[in-house]
Amino acid sequence: VITTVTILIPLLGAILMLLLPDDDRPARYAALGVAAVPLLLTIYIYFAFGDDLGVAALTQDITWIGSLNIGYRVGLDGLGFGMFFLSAFLTLIAIVASRDVKRNLKQYFAALFIAEVGMLGVFAAQDLILFYVFFEITLIPMYLLVGVWGDENRRPAAIKFFIFTFLGSTVMLAGFLAFGILANTYSMDALGGGGGLSRVAQIAVAAPILFGLLIKVPAVPLHGWLLDVYVSSPTSTNVLLSGVLPKLGTYGIIAVAIPLLPQGIEPFLPYLAIFGVINILYGSFVAFMQPDLKALVAYSSIGTLGFILLGAASGNAVGLNGAVFQQVSHGLYSALLFILVGVIAAKAGTRRIRELGGLAARMPWAGGLLALGALAAMGLPGLAVFVSEFMSIMGGYTTFPVQGVLASVGIVLSAMYLLYMLARVIFGPVERPAYEELQDADSVEMASVVPVAVLLVVLGIFPALLISVQRPAVDAVLALIGGS
Amino acid sequence: VVTGQTIVALLPELISTGFLILVLMVGAFAERNAGIATGLAVLGTLAVFASAAVLLATGFSGSFFGAAYVVDGFALYFKLIVAGSAFFAVLAAARWSGGTGDAPEYLMLILSVVLGATLLVSMRDLFGIFLAIELATIPSYAMVAFDRSRRESAEGGMKYLITGVIASSVLLYGLVLIYGVSGSAMLSDVADTFTGNLTPVAVLGLVLMVSGFAFKLSAAPFHFWTPDAYQGAPTSAAAFLSVGPKAATFAVLLRILLEGMPEAAATWTAVMAFLAIVTMFVGNLAALRQRNVRRMLAYSSVAHSGYILAAFAALQGAGVAFAVQAVLIYTAAYAIMNMGAFLIIDLVGEDTKDFNGLIRTTPGVAVSMALFMAALVGIPPLAGFFGKLWIIIAGAQSGSILVYVVVGALVVNTVLSVPYYFGIIRNMILEEPTTETVRAKGDGAVRFSVYVLAVLTTVFGLLIIPLSALVAASGLA
Repeated sequence: VITTVTILIPLLGAILMLLLPDDDRPARYAALGVAAVPLLLTIYIYFAFGDDLGVAALTQDITWIGSLNIGYRVGLDGLGFGMFFLSAFLTLIAIVASRDVKRNLKQYFAALFIAEVGMLGVFAAQDLILFYVFFEITLIPMYLLVGVWGDENRRPAAIKFFIFTFLGSTVMLAGFLAFGILANTYSMDALGGGGGLSRVAQIAVAAPILFGLLIKVPAVPLHGWLLDVYVSSPTSTNVLLSGVLPKLGTYGIIAVAIPLLPQGIEPFLPYLAIFGVINILYGSFVAFMQPDLKALVAYSSIGTLGFILLGAASGNAVGLNGAVFQQVSHGLYSALLFILVGVIAAKAGTRRIRELGGLAARMPWAGGLLALGALAAMGLPGLAVFVSEFMSIMGGYTTFPVQGVLASVGIVLSAMYLLYMLARVIFGPVERPAYEELQDADSVEMASVVPVAVLLVVLGIFPALLISVQRPAVDAVLALIGGS
Repeated sequence: VVTGQTIVALLPELISTGFLILVLMVGAFAERNAGIATGLAVLGTLAVFASAAVLLATGFSGSFFGAAYVVDGFALYFKLIVAGSAFFAVLAAARWSGGTGDAPEYLMLILSVVLGATLLVSMRDLFGIFLAIELATIPSYAMVAFDRSRRESAEGGMKYLITGVIASSVLLYGLVLIYGVSGSAMLSDVADTFTGNLTPVAVLGLVLMVSGFAFKLSAAPFHFWTPDAYQGAPTSAAAFLSVGPKAATFAVLLRILLEGMPEAAATWTAVMAFLAIVTMFVGNLAALRQRNVRRMLAYSSVAHSGYILAAFAALQGAGVAFAVQAVLIYTAAYAIMNMGAFLIIDLVGEDTKDFNGLIRTTPGVAVSMALFMAALVGIPPLAGFFGKLWIIIAGAQSGSILVYVVVGALVVNTVLSVPYYFGIIRNMILEEPTTETVRAKGDGAVRFSVYVLAVLTTVFGLLIIPLSALVAASGLA
């Protein structure tokens, strides 16, 4: 029940937002208050039940459509918990960081809350149809967040986003339906290990599901929609767009495709690892060439998503744990970078790397945190990303040595472009006289980035905080796929 | 023999006849008072709805008039759809028909369609079916042509009348041939002769009958009257005719096929599969090009007829139970979301540009329209999603390659339909208001209907799905 309550609170928040009077200040405080509730509930769940999330706990199972065996089935397990927490956390951060939203603030928050319902729901769903329903619930609010509140290029970007991801999820639904019809249930619990399907049937079902999920990630040849959308969005939308949404795809691979269709996914795993490596290398190369700071961060974000795919494909404990962990650490660092880019762009009046320079002197806090985020992105030890990327590469290397080695090359590449970016933007000569007058990030901006940075450090030093929660669930997956 | 049971069974029809006469009397004797006429019509549709609901809730069923007239859960479910959609049509027509000065006549026409359509879903006799269809159709010609202030209305009505009459004669010819082959008009007797290898005459009868129905259901290639009729018709007429009587026509077609010729399923599912594919593509491709929302919704209704026909194609193998429920779900879902979308035209306007920036001027209407459009695409968890879900499941269960192709076409068409439905959403939300857009006009009754329908669209999965499951479980009696 507590799971359902957590999922539904943002929905009430959305309704509340629409009922509030047209005044920004109370709307902002009310939104903060509402967003804090799911976060507090998740923290409570962590301390109260964190030790036994091996199989889905805190479940609720209400038959919805009996003849098809579709039910409202939710529950939290270690695979989803990290992202469940992160969705609640980053929604709160997004609300704090929403200063660049100038008009229709309460509608903006309402859309954010609806998106949160979908995100929380996906990570708690234990039924394929419910999973799909929550998956799609995020679609329209995200479309609106980009399309209404984005920059001047927002309309084509929003439409592109919608059509691409709708196509992906429709194909995924076709796979789900075929799966459910063949196995005669949609309960993810009952479907574990293949639901009695033959190997050929599993492969036939896994292909559309995987395709749909990879569009959502996006895996590199399918990423056509991404850049415009990321660059056009307001900062606080970026936080969710890069922090949580790609993980709907990767989580689907880790929690649906792999444990539910172990034999069907097996022939695809080497290619999944290759997709991961392509993401890593392509993201790094293209990031190198971006003149725009936000585009650089966007490609860096695509790149490091590759580690999730690689770890997920590995089929061993180290790699899978790394992939599940990387979902969270990726969300943290990309949220941090996107917010800071937003702060810097707002103050300096440009996002072009060439026109920025020497910000550290005037903006020690913002600059310092940007450096922290960049160091995290290149996998510096002591920060959360290091732990998860390292584990993903180790796990990936054990199963697919070539892909593993190539992935580690990606880390070197990312160090190159990120250090180059830092050298240009933060250090170096002060590019424009106007920058002498810049103010550092103020208290609200600090409030939006410091918690993220703290988590990044804490999880880097004590990764066991999260790994202890996810490990039993990962072991359960391994038992299903027969890995070690 | 007419007994008390018969009276109870005919309650919805008797009530609609009674109110029909009352409304007409207002025209003759009460100084043509639009208020009284509207009140009576609202009361009448609600009473029909309530009587059907009570019969359904009490599990009433039985055959009457020598088994030519049947009351079962299936029939009552469609009577609910007909009466419910008529209720909203009357509300939507209230102010407009008052303005024409002929409110009693217009509302009486709606009630006659209700009478015909509620009779229709209970008929088990070929000629009873034909009579009921005509009883529902002839008043609808007048409804389409009722708006004398617009030339398109007369033009649409004329086209509708001519094609409708041709369709009726084709249908009648088909029914007569079927009667000739089987020597009886009762569906149960027809079922005895439509077995094994069909005679050429029987096949001809079947094809003519299906063609006649295809006209009535605006399935391609028999859909040409649809855009003109719906564009010309008063909004309430287009909204009502595209959902209420159409749902009843689907219902009776389902009954004829399942009760009258179950053994010939291989033949008619193939015909349905062909019709479904052509209709989906024609409807969606034509809708993509429309700039007028009425015409767009008219073509969209062609496309949705195609989706429902896809369920008919799946009436074979293990898919039958799901396909029947798919028809139940889809017709109800379509009634709700399409009714809502049509009614909004009255509030906003019929050019897509009229919707520009609506979210800023009248957010409530804009959000409702967005819900209807998203539901028509089939975005979960809105109404249209469930209809498509059931059709896909039924198709997958049917075990026929041809039906798999139909289901594939349905998925392709769903993606194909995104641009024109979302074009409206884009205009409402992303565009700036133009000077003409201003605010949605304030007709309280229409607005009320729109909001109720928007809520129904949203909670469809919790409300109608269990109901349809109950009805489907009771089966065709």
